[in-house]
Amino acid sequence: MPELRVDGVTKRFDKVLAVDNASFTASPGRILGLLGPNGAGKTTTIRMIAYITVPDTGQVLFGDKQVGPWSQKQMGYLPEERGLYRKMKVGEQLTYFGELKGLSHSEAVKRVKHWLDRFDASDWYGRKTNELSKGMQQKVQFVTAVLHDPELLILDEPFVGLDPINAEVLQGVIMELKEAGRTILFASHRMEQVEQLCDDICLISQGKIVVNGELREIKKSFGRNTILLDFEGPDGFLDDLESRQLVRINVRSKSHAEIRLLNDTRPRVVLDEALRHTHEISRFELVEPSMREIFVTAVTAQQGAEAIEV
Amino acid sequence: MTNNIFIVAKYEFLKRVKTKWFVITTLLGPMALIAFIAIIGYVSISSLTSDDKTVAVLDATGILFDGLNDEDGQITFVVSNMPEDSVRKAVIRGVFDGYLLLDDQIISGSGEATYFSKDGGGASFFSRKLRNLVRSTVEERRLLEQHVPPEVFEILNARVDVNMVKLSDTGETTGGTEAFAVVGFIMGFLIYIAMLVYGSVVMQGVMQEKINRVVEIIVSSVRPFDLLMGKVLGIGAMGLLQMTFWAILIMAGVLLSGTVVAAFLDPATLNLPASASQDELLAAADFTIPSIEPAVFIWFVAFFLLGYLLYASLFSAIGSTVEQQQDAQSLMLPVMLPIILSIVFLQPLIEAPNSTLAIVLSMIPFTSPISMVVRFAITDIPFWEVSLSFLILVGSFIGSIWVASRIYRVGILMYGKKASFADLIRWARLS
Repeated sequence: MPELRVDGVTKRFDKVLAVDNASFTASPGRILGLLGPNGAGKTTTIRMIAYITVPDTGQVLFGDKQVGPWSQKQMGYLPEERGLYRKMKVGEQLTYFGELKGLSHSEAVKRVKHWLDRFDASDWYGRKTNELSKGMQQKVQFVTAVLHDPELLILDEPFVGLDPINAEVLQGVIMELKEAGRTILFASHRMEQVEQLCDDICLISQGKIVVNGELREIKKSFGRNTILLDFEGPDGFLDDLESRQLVRINVRSKSHAEIRLLNDTRPRVVLDEALRHTHEISRFELVEPSMREIFVTAVTAQQGAEAIEV
Repeated sequence: MTNNIFIVAKYEFLKRVKTKWFVITTLLGPMALIAFIAIIGYVSISSLTSDDKTVAVLDATGILFDGLNDEDGQITFVVSNMPEDSVRKAVIRGVFDGYLLLDDQIISGSGEATYFSKDGGGASFFSRKLRNLVRSTVEERRLLEQHVPPEVFEILNARVDVNMVKLSDTGETTGGTEAFAVVGFIMGFLIYIAMLVYGSVVMQGVMQEKINRVVEIIVSSVRPFDLLMGKVLGIGAMGLLQMTFWAILIMAGVLLSGTVVAAFLDPATLNLPASASQDELLAAADFTIPSIEPAVFIWFVAFFLLGYLLYASLFSAIGSTVEQQQDAQSLMLPVMLPIILSIVFLQPLIEAPNSTLAIVLSMIPFTSPISMVVRFAITDIPFWEVSLSFLILVGSFIGSIWVASRIYRVGILMYGKKASFADLIRWARLS
């Protein structure tokens, strides 16, 4: 199975530098999370991988060959902005997309039926697309990406608009494709999904890659500096700790807090304060930072650095 | 590559042919055309007949009235001895439709005849008939007074036919040049529809794909050029199917037209016995079904296709740059202008198919599809001239599809920005 290699790729639109010398690799049998704030250059990067646009400099390799019309046939793409022909029948339009990917007509029909079956949607075959609910259209859209059994799968926010049950079905399919050795690119803003699904991470900010590597390694490198605290009682001590610049509170609710230790604060300091002010503690755990935490830290640091450079 | 173009073309074609819109326009198109022709026919025929009229005659010569006689009985002449004032009042009251004043010097040549009526006579069938009746009566009287023998009358009244024959390299074709003008007009009009209507269908299709965002999925499978070409060819095939259907109907109509025209003709007015055959009737009425040379058809189809392709490529480029119908309007105007010009110049072109204007219009690729076909149908054009015009058109299409595909490639993925002409030029130059 070939791996995808983005190698020193730069893309400029007029005066805007959309992607700046980006390099990363996605391996077969693994899921690479492509993350970044809005307008960071994710879509531009994806479009270059999909050979919809071409880089100004650098190259995108699939296996050891540059991407091109040949690689489009081996690639499935679910864009963030979903689109289907509204007045065409579901079966007809899926067959069309299958044929465009190089399947014969009869093979395309067969696979469309197989996949609709898989999603409990066999009876949609003859229905017009605009008669379907948004979630149903979402599933149809996913089928367009996997119909031709692609080596490389690019999924941009695949779970948006799906209820938990359907999301589970979809996640099952994605994991299955991963097990089958497909190379999968997963772009999302939902950090808990990224954490659940991804093996590797590539974080882009302002066109530059700021974090890249194996998810586990990245987490480890950020150190065990986050505390998960479940408690009962007053929570004023948290504000006090934060105002003293000892910690930053990432997630906070009435009885739960995710606390990031700053400036080499010892975990004990937080525990002491908690013991002193709360009525009860049901959990005190020192963990690696969440993906969300890493995202915020990395992007803030990069944008801060950028501001200083300018 | 070409396989992708074929797949896109196939789906574009099937998708459209299966719509209600296609079925309705294909079936109703000829009906609209027939209704259009029927209305024109009705209007022109109704001007040929008129209601019966009663005309009072004030005959100062005292002898002309006896000769005034309408054989059809549509005009009844009544001699009046009343003073002109009272006749005038009678006309205004509606007793007579009008009155005819015949000067006493009219026979000697220095007087004149005047017809007074409330509607002024006008250029109607009635006034033409009245003029002819008065003229022939006066002429007859003048000849009688000069003692001309009756044989001379017969000679003067004998019919003189003037036939129109079209000369060409391959021989000559009898039939009115009007018939060829009509053929040319219909062909020009069909090409006009092809370029404007099918061109807009392409533009709408491109816009819909962009607005639906479905285009991003497709260009992740095929090159934008393949998508564009497939779309243009698929819609072109749909247009060709529709036109072929209509052409068959028109041909059937032409074959039947003799029967239809003959049914409207009255043998009596053509000095034929009531039992006259259809062919005799048509011959007497100077009606011949124009026989069209195969070359005219071949060039028609060639210019039809290339004209469509040229405009479809331009319209698709426009469609790719906009997200709303209104935004397309300002960009469409410069593209539509040459099409409108070709229609505006259709009349002078038919009248003088070999004028400098006609030759220039039939060479410019944006006007040549309509202009050249119309000229070719009417008059003989050297082979090199048609070929040159066609080659210019082919070359222009290759150029336009190249530029259009470059604009298209950028345009389909560009959202939230209204493109100007400067943008389009810049996109076309982007590598």
